[in-house]
Amino acid sequence: MSDNELVNQQFPVKVEQPGGSGNIFARVFDELTAFCRSRSLFILHYCTGCGAIELPPAMTSRFDMERLGISPMVSPRQADILLITGYVSVKTLKRVILTYEQMGSPKYVIGICSCTVNGGMYWQSYATAKKLNDYMPVDLYIAGCMPRPEAVITGLRQLMENIRRGEANGWQDYYQRYDHYLGHQQRLFGETWQTPTDVIAEAKHYGLFSNETLGEHTKLLQQHQKPLEALEMRLGLDSKDKVEP
Amino acid sequence: MSDLDLLLSVAAIAIVLNGLLAGQQLGRWVLTALYALQFALLFSIAPGTDGAQSAVAFHLLDNPVGWQLSAFGWFFAMITIGIAGFCAAYAAGEWGATNAGSGLSMRWLYAGLQINVTAMLLLLSAGDLISLFIGWELTSWAGLILMLLGGGQALLAARRYIIYAIAGGMAIFAGLVMTAGATGSLQYAEVAAAIASVSTGTLWAITLLFVVGFAVKMAILPFHLWQPPAYAFSPGPASAFLGAISARMGLFAIGLVVLKLIGLDGFASLSLWRDVINLRDILLWAAAFTAILPTYVAMRQNDARLLLSWHGVGQGGYMLLGLMITDSLGSAGGLLHVFNYATYQAILLMAVFAVIHRTGTADLNRLGGLVARMPLTFLAMLIGIIGLAGLPPMNGFVSKWMVYRSLVTEGMPLLFVASVISTLGTVLSVYKLLHNTFLGQLRLEHEYVKEAPWSMTVPMMLLCTVVFVTGVMPGLVLGYIADAQAAIGLTPVAFVLGGIESKAGSLDMIWITGVLFAGFGIGAILFYLMGGRTKRVHQLDNYAGGHFLTADVRYQYSDNFYAGLMHRIRPWYRGTFEWAESALVSAVGAASSAARGFFEQANPALWVLVGTTLIVTWVMWHALG
Repeated sequence: MSDNELVNQQFPVKVEQPGGSGNIFARVFDELTAFCRSRSLFILHYCTGCGAIELPPAMTSRFDMERLGISPMVSPRQADILLITGYVSVKTLKRVILTYEQMGSPKYVIGICSCTVNGGMYWQSYATAKKLNDYMPVDLYIAGCMPRPEAVITGLRQLMENIRRGEANGWQDYYQRYDHYLGHQQRLFGETWQTPTDVIAEAKHYGLFSNETLGEHTKLLQQHQKPLEALEMRLGLDSKDKVEP
Repeated sequence: MSDLDLLLSVAAIAIVLNGLLAGQQLGRWVLTALYALQFALLFSIAPGTDGAQSAVAFHLLDNPVGWQLSAFGWFFAMITIGIAGFCAAYAAGEWGATNAGSGLSMRWLYAGLQINVTAMLLLLSAGDLISLFIGWELTSWAGLILMLLGGGQALLAARRYIIYAIAGGMAIFAGLVMTAGATGSLQYAEVAAAIASVSTGTLWAITLLFVVGFAVKMAILPFHLWQPPAYAFSPGPASAFLGAISARMGLFAIGLVVLKLIGLDGFASLSLWRDVINLRDILLWAAAFTAILPTYVAMRQNDARLLLSWHGVGQGGYMLLGLMITDSLGSAGGLLHVFNYATYQAILLMAVFAVIHRTGTADLNRLGGLVARMPLTFLAMLIGIIGLAGLPPMNGFVSKWMVYRSLVTEGMPLLFVASVISTLGTVLSVYKLLHNTFLGQLRLEHEYVKEAPWSMTVPMMLLCTVVFVTGVMPGLVLGYIADAQAAIGLTPVAFVLGGIESKAGSLDMIWITGVLFAGFGIGAILFYLMGGRTKRVHQLDNYAGGHFLTADVRYQYSDNFYAGLMHRIRPWYRGTFEWAESALVSAVGAASSAARGFFEQANPALWVLVGTTLIVTWVMWHALG
């Protein structure tokens, strides 16, 4: 499958599953949940390039995205939308992927500016990742160099509508086809690439483990993966560990 | 033998038992039980009856001396014995074993604690000014025993303390002598009756001498410098005991002498410049500044023990502020704060010493992330700081609310603002304490730290229960406070189980707590019952602007906390009181070296001759003129 086909491919629309929690009311509230979700969105801005300058007017009194229920957030754990505003260099992309993996699901990615779509004016740069959706599922692109705040607001409204209709499911794709995304990441960063997050376990946690989650690339990851250093966060009450004398 | 005599005898015998038994772990638990016995004996005493009157009485220079426990003293005695019991339990198990192994004398620690309790009981049950003075001096010297045990910095602090304590004691003694001269008696009732006929000048002198003497113990500005290091660097349980209750003996004495003996009328007559300022205003403002300045000094501390001890000074200001409003609500608030503060200050110091026990440091720049290792200690400190910051549903909220409310209804808006500023400082600095100790990044060297042993966590948890229960049902304590108020001539506060029910304002903590927990409860139901799931992540799976974290990199900084605020306020108070203290020391030093210089003259006879000649000349000049 060539890159072009991947870009053009419509992501299969999947209804979010209750994940085996046995909650008999899960489907009853789907529409309500989707509506509520679409009206309360926190954005983590990963401002990498010049497009960032269009966000302050979108946020502040003139265009005021908070009237849509969208406001900035400082940490990925509490954020719903990852907003990437401009070109991503290879070095930046590692940080963007780490940040994306740290966000709690459901999570949405918006790429702003032409650079995130196809590299834009940095197309010839050796250090710039051209297409963001090779490395993580992008729910929405807002193209332009740079897009005006009106375009940003329109894009956000489109994302809200997609969420409300249950169509913004890029985050599920990351779990279901993790091997595919990891392959692109390894192509760029080398086969020893790893993040501190455990995407495979999360895929199982969300009930999104599919036969494309694992593959040759995840096999490579597990070969090279170094366990994280000490200081795992856990309660010390039932400590079976050795105690310093 | 009355009930009071029984209690005092048990307390005195307990000193010996402490010296004998504290060496062994089992003995220390027996001694903890002994505090329970003293607590029970205290509850068998009904203040105001024959049981509260000691059979021991004698005459000293024709003055009758005796002991009698009033409801006012009973209230303080209840806190004293209770806190001492918790501190003894805290040290009984592993803490005692470990520290005895590293050279701390458990016999002296336990005996010192019991000596303090006994001395305080003698002070609190003083039946006249002489026995009050005896109790006062005993308490001062007893405190020194606990301070000296710490060693190192504690020795310097103890030396400073004893200089302040002797100066305070002298002031009180001078006040005593003047009272005897002016009223012809040292009995409470006779002094109170005769005080109306004392001239204003003498009354000023007596009141100031007593108030200054007691304010030294209470660490009211500007006599506060000795207290934080002296209390902070004592060994764990001793520090918790001293910090929780010891300084409140000053409040007890101020309440007794100013409100009961001199009386509200006598007190109100002490004014300057045609009634523009009276002594009560001065005390109120001294209390307000004591509540503010040390709180912001506390915020600057990097040693958890010092931070808490500076808060001890500040919270003392709150208590005096409440008591000196002298209406029923405010003074009840001040007294309730004594109880509340004792409970959560003991928790906080116990938690800090539990952290020291496990990690070996109280340096707020060398801790962090311990919540994952010491969750119960974290919980104890959390409940303690909610109390100290004065937030519902813990008991600190109730007493602070009463003081605030009373300041507003009594028409003291500026003092109200001052107390709010103080609370702001408290909230900020206790957050620093909790954050730097328990939140954020766990350090590599604390990877294998374990929770404090049960012998330390159980006393903390029990005290947390007290903080919560008396926060939800302040009426449990307010009953004793109403009696205490009546005993020193104040109007008793009108209370119900849930709080206050009076014209000055109503507060029902049962409702407030109910609403608070309903809010949390709805949140919890939404989260847990509707599919909310949590996930525990590795510490390095953390957000630092997208940076990849490693265990050897510090990504969380605790140094120079509140740098912006500190930058603004530091010039206002930097070293002011240290400067004043060192100026006083220099003046005394200069005077003494001048005196020494005189006596070390090679030929002092010449100067004596010159002096005598001058005096004779002066006398003759006047005699002839």
